[in-house]
Amino acid sequence: MAHPLEPRLAAYIAGKIPAASSVAVTGLERISGGASRETYRFVLSWTEGGESRERRLILRRDPPASLIDTERRIEFEAYRAFAGSAVPVPEMLWLEEADDALDHPFFVAEEICGFEASPQLLLSGAFDAVLPALAGRKWTILGEIARTDPAAAGLTRWMAGPAPGACWRRELDHWEALIDKDAAEPLPVTRAAIRWLRANPPPPAQKLSVVHGDYRTGNFLFDKAGAIHGILDWEMSHLGDPLEDLGWSLQPVWTFGRPGQAGGLCRPDEAVATWELASGLKADPAALHWWILFSCVKGQGIWVGSAAAFNRGGNRAPIMIYPAWWLINAQDRAMLQVMGRL
Amino acid sequence: MNPPVPAVMAELAGLLMKNAMPDVPQPERASDLSLSAMLLVVAGEIWDRQAHILVEENRAVRGLLGEVGEDSDLHIPALQAENNRLRAALIVAQAAAEVAGDLARQEDIWAELVAATERRKLSMAPV
Repeated sequence: MAHPLEPRLAAYIAGKIPAASSVAVTGLERISGGASRETYRFVLSWTEGGESRERRLILRRDPPASLIDTERRIEFEAYRAFAGSAVPVPEMLWLEEADDALDHPFFVAEEICGFEASPQLLLSGAFDAVLPALAGRKWTILGEIARTDPAAAGLTRWMAGPAPGACWRRELDHWEALIDKDAAEPLPVTRAAIRWLRANPPPPAQKLSVVHGDYRTGNFLFDKAGAIHGILDWEMSHLGDPLEDLGWSLQPVWTFGRPGQAGGLCRPDEAVATWELASGLKADPAALHWWILFSCVKGQGIWVGSAAAFNRGGNRAPIMIYPAWWLINAQDRAMLQVMGRL
Repeated sequence: MNPPVPAVMAELAGLLMKNAMPDVPQPERASDLSLSAMLLVVAGEIWDRQAHILVEENRAVRGLLGEVGEDSDLHIPALQAENNRLRAALIVAQAAAEVAGDLARQEDIWAELVAATERRKLSMAPV
């Protein structure tokens, strides 16, 4: 049975390719996960210049309510900025910010086919032989993101750049405000972490970098040889301290039950050394500690936001319950670990 | 636990009924049902222990705050409301101890926060 979005999406795309006829969308199916955007894969077929053509594409559509509220324009432009660079990303095709075509804003992108993203699969044991190589690639690519000049990449047009000394405060203010708004229950451990972060700020950022915002195991496409073919989920990207991304990648929730393994993949010191080599930057241990603890607070902001979206009735999908139930306590445990209390 | 278990169970019940219909796309059905199954496992664990955790935690925090009393209404919403009141007061107390430089008080509060976090740990927690 055809998905009801298929003819509407086909009509939209037909308007974007004037030279095309017989534009059709088939096989549209929702991909698991995607708590902040609805993600679908589909096949686009059309006729152009007398030739039949076909392409596998991705639709990323805003849900009715999300665990994080972000602008799809920012995500779209971040992907576009890294096209053809050392940071592998899918090609972006069309961005629609109005609700008319598919009820909510969306964009359409190339599907990078034939690879996996699941952390559970990656850490199932079947890939153990290639985890060191994959870890090397993961933090090398993150170093490449940190090395990129945001202005040269065209991103300063879309992303506000704080002063180097203000990066930490902007992020902490943002996530604390979300926790204030969304937390359904008091969070004593998180509040203690926030007080510590404010009392012990990090030094100014050594440079203003593109920050992916959710760089972790699970947000890249990998193959059986340990190669990475696409960096995904740029919806929280912004300009800031490059240590922010490194801290997020090292926060304990992303060990996926492998204590002491950064991203479940390698020792944290190995990840940091790889990142330093690729970025040409230094990860001051005290500053990095601040950003790892901050990442725990940010994580908590996302998890309580997920519960809030469910409780308010804006999005009752089961994917909204999963992070709230699974990760709020785990994030508290992570905070206690980072603060040396557990 | 938030979202509350009854609201989640009601949502999952509706989801199961929806997925019993023949016109649900297969990938969406697979995603909905696998997530629902995992959430049902967690709901079972929460159901078994939630009242015990809240009573124990409320007793410990009352002790730290110098309050007397016991939970008389053992319904989860009543226990949770009291827990929210007490933990909010604990946040204020901890911040005050930090301002005062009262290290012994801070350590007592930290000990309870660690114990509370351990009490709430799920059997399949990633950390």
